[in-house]
Amino acid sequence: MQELIATLETQSDPLPGAAFEPAIVAFVCNWCTYTAADLAGTSRMVQSPNVRLVRMMCTGMVDPKYIIKALLGGADAVLVSGCHPGDCHYINGNYKARRRVKLLMEILPRFGIDSRRIKLTWVGASEGNEFAATVNRFAAEIKELGPIDTRRLPLL
Amino acid sequence: MGSIARIEVKDGNPVAALQNFCARLLADSEITAVLAPRQLPGNRGAMPALVAAPEQLHDIDPLAPSFRLNAARMLTRLTRGADDGGLVAALLRPCEVRAFIELCKLNQGSLENTLLVSLDCPGAFSNTDYPRFAANSGDTWSLVQFLGTSGRGTHGGIEIARACCTCEHTTGAEADLSIGLFGQDVEKGLLLMANTPRGEGFMTRLGLPEATDDGSRDKALEALLAERRAAQELMFAETTAATSDMTGLSQFLSACVNCYNCRAACPVCYCKECVFLTDVFEHKPWQYLSWARQRGALKMPTDTVFFHLTRLAHMSTACVGCGQCSNACPNGVPVMELFKTIAAATQKAFEYEAGRDPGEAPPLSVFREREFPELTGGLD
Amino acid sequence: MPSRIGVYVCHCGTNIAGRVDSEGVARFAAGLKNVAVARDYKFMCSDPGQDMIIKDIREMGLTRVVVASCSPRLHEKTFQKACQRGGLNPFLFQMTCIREHCSWVVADPVEATAKAKTLVAGAVSRVNEHEELYSRVEAVHPDVLVVGGGIAGIQAALDIARSGHKVHLVERGPSIGGHMTQFDKTFPTLDCAACISTPKMVAVAQEPNINLMTMSEAVEVKGYVGNYTARIRTRPRYINEDRCTGCGLCMEKCPKSVPSEFEEGLAKRKAVHRNSPQSVPNTPVIDPASCIYLVKGKCGACKQNCPSEAIDFEQQESFLDVQVGTIVLATGFDILDPTALTQYGFGRYPEVYTGLQFERLNNAVGPTGGKILMKNGQAPESVAIIHCVGSRDKNQHEYCSRVCCMYALKYDHLIKDKIGHQARVFNFYIDMRCFGKGYEEFYRRVQEEGVTFIRGRPSEVTDQTLSAEEDGKLIVVAEDTLLGRPVRVSVDMVVLCTAMQARRDASEVARIFGISQGQDGFFLEEHPKLGPVSTATDGIFLAGTCQGPKDIPDAVAHASGGAGQALSLAARGEVSISPTVSWINPDICVGCKMCVDLCAYSAIEFDERRKVCVINEAMCKGCGSCAGHCPSGAAQVRHFNEKQIFAELEGLSQNVPLVRQPAGVDHL
Ligand SMILES: Cc1cc2nc3c(=O)[nH]c(=O)nc-3n(C[C@H](O)[C@H](O)[C@H](O)COP(=O)(O)OP(=O)(O)OC[C@H]3O[C@@H](n4cnc5c(N)ncnc54)[C@H](O)[C@@H]3O)c2cc1C
Ligand code: SF4
Ligand code: SF4
Ligand code: SF4
Ligand code: SF4
Ligand code: FES
Repeated sequence: MQELIATLETQSDPLPGAAFEPAIVAFVCNWCTYTAADLAGTSRMVQSPNVRLVRMMCTGMVDPKYIIKALLGGADAVLVSGCHPGDCHYINGNYKARRRVKLLMEILPRFGIDSRRIKLTWVGASEGNEFAATVNRFAAEIKELGPIDTRRLPLL
Repeated sequence: MGSIARIEVKDGNPVAALQNFCARLLADSEITAVLAPRQLPGNRGAMPALVAAPEQLHDIDPLAPSFRLNAARMLTRLTRGADDGGLVAALLRPCEVRAFIELCKLNQGSLENTLLVSLDCPGAFSNTDYPRFAANSGDTWSLVQFLGTSGRGTHGGIEIARACCTCEHTTGAEADLSIGLFGQDVEKGLLLMANTPRGEGFMTRLGLPEATDDGSRDKALEALLAERRAAQELMFAETTAATSDMTGLSQFLSACVNCYNCRAACPVCYCKECVFLTDVFEHKPWQYLSWARQRGALKMPTDTVFFHLTRLAHMSTACVGCGQCSNACPNGVPVMELFKTIAAATQKAFEYEAGRDPGEAPPLSVFREREFPELTGGLD
Repeated sequence: MPSRIGVYVCHCGTNIAGRVDSEGVARFAAGLKNVAVARDYKFMCSDPGQDMIIKDIREMGLTRVVVASCSPRLHEKTFQKACQRGGLNPFLFQMTCIREHCSWVVADPVEATAKAKTLVAGAVSRVNEHEELYSRVEAVHPDVLVVGGGIAGIQAALDIARSGHKVHLVERGPSIGGHMTQFDKTFPTLDCAACISTPKMVAVAQEPNINLMTMSEAVEVKGYVGNYTARIRTRPRYINEDRCTGCGLCMEKCPKSVPSEFEEGLAKRKAVHRNSPQSVPNTPVIDPASCIYLVKGKCGACKQNCPSEAIDFEQQESFLDVQVGTIVLATGFDILDPTALTQYGFGRYPEVYTGLQFERLNNAVGPTGGKILMKNGQAPESVAIIHCVGSRDKNQHEYCSRVCCMYALKYDHLIKDKIGHQARVFNFYIDMRCFGKGYEEFYRRVQEEGVTFIRGRPSEVTDQTLSAEEDGKLIVVAEDTLLGRPVRVSVDMVVLCTAMQARRDASEVARIFGISQGQDGFFLEEHPKLGPVSTATDGIFLAGTCQGPKDIPDAVAHASGGAGQALSLAARGEVSISPTVSWINPDICVGCKMCVDLCAYSAIEFDERRKVCVINEAMCKGCGSCAGHCPSGAAQVRHFNEKQIFAELEGLSQNVPLVRQPAGVDHL
């Protein structure tokens, strides 16, 4: 069985031939990171196209289920990004988000989901350059890691 | 350490001694009823019963190695809200005590309204194994034999449930009173220990003879724990190896039919309605079809791995390792193995231990301003 | 019924279309589930662009609209309004950003177009799950409650009252004025504290729009922005304020003396007492703990002698409910009790004083009539002033109290001025912080008066002498960190500049008003930079030192800020309550109360009867901290609920290539 899977795995490389383009979902808060992304745009800071933003009002509303769903549904990685500690528009939503990400970090990597595929960052509203750099670094890192296992598994 | 008393056993029958102990509790004016396991007819094991009349204590059997359900949830129903019903004394396994403490933190029950009495737990057979054990050896003699091993060894070739074999919380010092079996000659007498001021109060009122700790219980416990910890390590290693990637995890859960029995049996899965049963997961026909088109084929029912991962996220920090999830699974999915393994990790990560201390807040209900710098590479 | 979605892809001139094939994106969108029409246009935000949407809603019966253009932070409102004009609830709209997040930042046109399609697919999928939402408007009660009658509370109350709004000013003590009434002079101008505070206090008493309640505290506050009900408890004064003329005969006749709190224990007061003749109100108060009549039932000397028959031993505690729209908290600060810092000998050596005690020694109506005298009646020849006692100290308070350097300089000057130039003054400081207007100048002036500054925190104050010279003196032992050598300075008197700290009962007050405290114990402002006077609770504002140490000018400015915020709400007369707040489904909630503590705005309450949690929508800010945790999904943020986010995720991953699995393997 193990062998069979191994052979199938090599066969079933996504998009054979084409270069791997990771799909990355980013849950970003409206007040800091989303604003930073706007700023990066206005400043024309070129970014790799792999990151898709999901606008949340605060990282504190990112239910761990959203991250799990994204990773099971084809996203190769998830970024959660909000205001720096002390700057959350809602006082302390980001601290709660940090605990929830910590929790997932203890669970998902145990099932072979590389811990580099889940990232938490603080990018403030004025840090357009930091946003662009985060996106580019993250996309490059995930490109290197290759596609996530779940893309191959018909599970949901 | 609190005071210790002795529960005398007459005619070599510890079960009768405990029935008698329950009768004494009932006689106390503060106690309105006793919640304790009662033998089901036909060797089917034991289930909790709420006994208010002393003459109904005859089938009570807190020592039966049967654990059909975790009574913590039952006790929450008896203790939640205003304490108008009076005090319920509950005879529980240590994992039931710890589950109950978790549930109290979640506002489901109240420690105020109960006298928790835990028993040293040698373990119990799975729901499917117990009738086999009882059919071969359902008498007091073999019960005494079972208890005599203080939780070690197999019994008539049948092993106790894996959750129990790998359990390192075999005594319930979190309860008000605990009953000591380990290292005791259970045909002669059991120990009763008070762990809280409330426990002390009852101990005095019960008027049992004082006893001293001769160390035999600790010794038996030590040997047991060494075995259990080794078994636990082994289980963690096996489970980790089997689920080290998503393929492995899928295989591990492959027999799951999304019946959600595991979550219904889990004492700390306390939601009234699991989110997986709400309309959030009521997908439209075209959604299924589009997933099927996208993937070529779609496993039905869907969301199986999603369910288990979410349940791990929701309650692994509260998991007390009682094994009722595995017990309840109709398809032999080793749910407990998975949950206990992950629970060990998540609880450690938050320096938390489910059921250890009623004052310890569930990890996801609190936060600190400066913590987990490894996540973001710093604290700012 | 399936929704009918209209999708509008903007070119934004060439801003989008220069990189993204907007037409192609619209064509792609037309093929998505439930999309009834998809168009592209040069400028969607222009009038013709908006009219296009409105026309389609009306003519094609669209039930949902998606616009793919610039950032929703720019034009979400524009398009929501357009939807509304077309007769569609504005929340049945979703916007996705293909300019800032796409055309402007993705270099390759093919990639940019692909990304735009993905984003549109996400928005289309999400909008299916959108629900109609309606904002609510609530009236704001025009009256304001001000709690605490120190200089900050006075300033806030006067500002508000003068705008024509009614103010309930609640002061716990017998008089308003707060700490400032204890001082003699105030830095840096050295004007007399009473000269500047008394007129303000009198103005409060005379202001018809201010209902002053002394001896009073708020014990319970209910409601939310615009509609608060505060229960005020008033303790008995035992003297009828309306009858009393303030003549003071009662105080003369009272036979019972106890240490005076106002004099910081340096003098005694009678059981019937008054802080000073300038007190507002100037009616004395009978202290029930020391009054012989109230304790033992006999005496009544005051009653017999009061010419106005104002003494009333029958007075009882009373309660009053006041309705207000907004609240300003101005409860001030405490000073740290230095007894615990045993190295400084406070309480052990009679000549060690706190700053407040030293203020009283300087005050013309204080225990020494304004002369700086030791307990033996002599003026000290030398004084040491120790800065930062309990401030900037890991074991006490890490923060700087912001006023000690300045009042120490004030003391330097007063000592030189009152005792004479020969008096020696030593300042033990860590850093001199003289940052305010005119402060540095004041520092210079004092330096020129011949005061000694030693940089170093003293390790102890002792009476253990090492030489005959030191005999009978207090010796301050320190290390001069500038010179790097130990110093011993013998003096007659030591003044400790003790830290300003949060009120003893700050946590209780925070609980009553539903606000938070920072780590330093002071009340927490909404934002350290941009919201220093508002709190996380709408309609509750901070004024003065209850938010953190401040000097008088800063406390007054802060108070005017708080008053302004309260007024802007009161003047508008209504608040619009956003519908994108959270909601708890009572059929699903299991009543675990986990969300209650996660909510930073105290917006969630447990309903004991139904055993479920309930969100007060007027207090909820829609942050989702509750929904992000609630395991059963009972708590959900409107417009950001699970179904909506899941739908968006599905849309976004729609064209992620998932490899088709050969039959028979991993069918899990
Ligand atoms: C020793 C010393 C010397 C100082 N010298 C100067 C100086 O020279 N110049 C200068 O600019 N600043 C000086 N300051 C700072 C100055 O004292 C403060 O800036 C100012 O007093 C702050 O006023 P406030 O109204 O915020 O607080 P407070 O003066 O503390 O007033 C608060 C008021 O609220 C009342 N209160 C408290 N709790 C409640 C409650 N729960 N309900 C009802 N009422 C309540 C209190 O009774 C009090 O009347 C000095 C401070 C100290 C410690
Ligand atoms: S997950 Fe299983 S082992 Fe853990 S508490 Fe629930 S039922 Fe018991
Ligand atoms: S693991 Fe077992 S009990 Fe749990 S849902 Fe699956 S089949 Fe049901
Ligand atoms: S967390 Fe959820 S289930 Fe628990 S009380 Fe709050 S809304 Fe109810
Ligand atoms: S969304 Fe929830 S946590 Fe946030 S303010 Fe509203 S009730 Fe409180
Ligand atoms: S608003 Fe940005 S993290 Fe809370």
